[in-house]
Amino acid sequence: MTTVSDANYDVIVIGGGHNGLTAACVLARRGRRVLVLEKRDVLGGLCAGEEFHPGYRSPGLLHDTATLRPAAVDALRLQEHGLDLEARAPEWFVPQERGRGLVFSRDADTAAAEIEGFSPRDGARYRDYRRFMDKARRVSEPVLNEAPPEMDLDTVGLAGLARHALGLRRLGARDMMNLLRVPPMCVADFAREWFETELLCATLAAPAVEGTWCGPWSPGTAANLLIWECTARRGVKGGAAGLAHALERAARFYGVETRTGAEVARIRVENGVATGVELAGGEAIGAGAVVSSCDPRTTFLGLVAPGALTHAFEHRVAVYRTRGTSAKVHLALSGPLAFACRPDLRVERARTGEMLDFQERAFDAVKYGHFSERPILDVFVPTFARPELAPDGCHVVSILAHFAPYEVTGGWDDAKRERLGDAVVAELARYAPGIDEKIVAREVLTPADIEARYGTTGGHIHHGEHALDQLIARPTPETARYRTPIRNLYLCGSGSFPGGGVTCAPGLLAARAIARG
Amino acid sequence: MVGEKHLPDEFVADIRRYKLRGSSGKVNLALDHLPDFTSRPGDGVHVRGDIAIAPSIDYLERAYDDAKYGDFSKHPYMNVVIPSLVDPSVAPPGKHVMSIFVQYAPYHIKEGAERWPEKREAFGDAVVDTLAEFMPGLREAILHRQVLTPWDMEQQIGLTEGNIFQGELSLEQLLFQRPAAGFARYRTPVESLWLCGSGAHPGGGIMGSPGELCAKTMLGERAV
Repeated sequence: MTTVSDANYDVIVIGGGHNGLTAACVLARRGRRVLVLEKRDVLGGLCAGEEFHPGYRSPGLLHDTATLRPAAVDALRLQEHGLDLEARAPEWFVPQERGRGLVFSRDADTAAAEIEGFSPRDGARYRDYRRFMDKARRVSEPVLNEAPPEMDLDTVGLAGLARHALGLRRLGARDMMNLLRVPPMCVADFAREWFETELLCATLAAPAVEGTWCGPWSPGTAANLLIWECTARRGVKGGAAGLAHALERAARFYGVETRTGAEVARIRVENGVATGVELAGGEAIGAGAVVSSCDPRTTFLGLVAPGALTHAFEHRVAVYRTRGTSAKVHLALSGPLAFACRPDLRVERARTGEMLDFQERAFDAVKYGHFSERPILDVFVPTFARPELAPDGCHVVSILAHFAPYEVTGGWDDAKRERLGDAVVAELARYAPGIDEKIVAREVLTPADIEARYGTTGGHIHHGEHALDQLIARPTPETARYRTPIRNLYLCGSGSFPGGGVTCAPGLLAARAIARG
Repeated sequence: MVGEKHLPDEFVADIRRYKLRGSSGKVNLALDHLPDFTSRPGDGVHVRGDIAIAPSIDYLERAYDDAKYGDFSKHPYMNVVIPSLVDPSVAPPGKHVMSIFVQYAPYHIKEGAERWPEKREAFGDAVVDTLAEFMPGLREAILHRQVLTPWDMEQQIGLTEGNIFQGELSLEQLLFQRPAAGFARYRTPVESLWLCGSGAHPGGGIMGSPGELCAKTMLGERAV
């Protein structure tokens, strides 16, 4: 039986992840009465930290918090609400089976000293690379920090484009041309143009392919590296869960109402206008606007009743690519994680995959419906910054493993999940022998598990593939600026510009667009 | 041909990073008679145009996988034409010529490009064996076989790295960046030296456009 709640909200936000909470806070700060509905029992979405074994807590599904936008941190005064930022962009270690591995840093001096150990030429080139990226950042960062241009190229859109074009022109002809040629390239070619050290090339390629349906030899992956380089700043201490906590506190402070365990079954649409939502239990809640932080396929094909959207639009949403390729493994360790090639190094972040072809082979598997026998691992040990996540002297190792296809041949089952977990642990053990004996417990999440737990279609950690055709017109041309074909229904999740990751940018930009009307 | 000392450093750097890496091979067969395709035996329009051996997307992808790691495709994509069906003068009466364009055959094989001659016949065998799966009588009909690897194309025709398009047709090497930013309009840093080949806009293929556009540009600028 449907019951209609008395409360009358200005805005209902569907989903209490980092973007949903960001949008809710921004709108509440501007005087709107906001309700956030989260189907899970915890807020934070892909940033939520959770106990995965008694006494051991994960730092959130997503690792890389360096692209968290300062504009979002400042707009919500998140540091006053407990957000603790690192001193600089995170470094990570790339171990080698033979060799001493590479500590990669965005600080030119720190990194150059490491790189010179492999190639003096590359050490010097790295300083040039950083200078190039600094210039690229000046042009690219403003573009990534505002809503994408209007597709119909009205005068407002043109003015914005002209401003960015002017910024590009100011780089000078040579740098402008050098920057323009980067996005369509494959990251392997781009890295090899700069450097002769294979390990360094692989190090740069890893963040450009993680979470994508691409290997380092896929065209367009250089754009992902460029975007990362142009937006990475300081990470969150201890990982994404710290951001989730700060957002939760900020939401309370700004008067946002939140309800967990509240799964939205339908967005109510009357005469082409969104008027509220209906929960799985039958309860109906009315609101002046509905803002969905769910991925676009869930929002339009799952939550909106058939008939409210045109077939042509539904088709565009249906072909939006959301094939997840990432798995998650949490390890509860009885002692620290130590890498054989540099046993004394305190490693908080590491990435495996020391050669481009190795990464490419890991990707080849998903094309044919298999997970990588030797996956590439993005490893994060949150217990250095947050020892309270594990018992005394114990550690948590959080691993995003690439690649594992959502649509694995034969479908996912318990046995396959454990084989995937074994492959991940075996790969880590190549570089950190003896880790097997320290494992107290492990949790393995396949893309199907990620979908089931978080509701992201295909288990895609970015709410849709990061590819050039899904970046600006994200998720579709008519919804790229957070509006939808249904009046008063908006998007604010990672399926909107500028895409996934722990940025809070879609939430911030969407809320600003909504507040403007 | 020009020599680096006559060229600006930036231009030299751009040309050095210009990617050629040929990826195609060619096999020409002289046939005693024309065998039947299993899927559609006999003569007809289906064998008088382009014939593509590309059974599935994954088939093409696997062919590319081999090339990524420095090997020719075990089961390549093939584009086959039989010119003797439309022009009998290219072969003796009753005989046929089959021209097979093969993808992928990377110039940079893992053994090193100069080792291609040792792999040439194995490559030819892979092509014939794969095509024979679709045309079972093919092997018996072959009178002579000519195999051209990317290395052969470089040696015999002069195509750098055996690239049939004089440079990869990737976005960063097209339009205003072919072959280098600032030199896409057929001019070069050397006065009175122009480019009119597939390495100039709009790129390779049997178009004639780079030649036509270069000539028009020269005439338009009254360069000759």
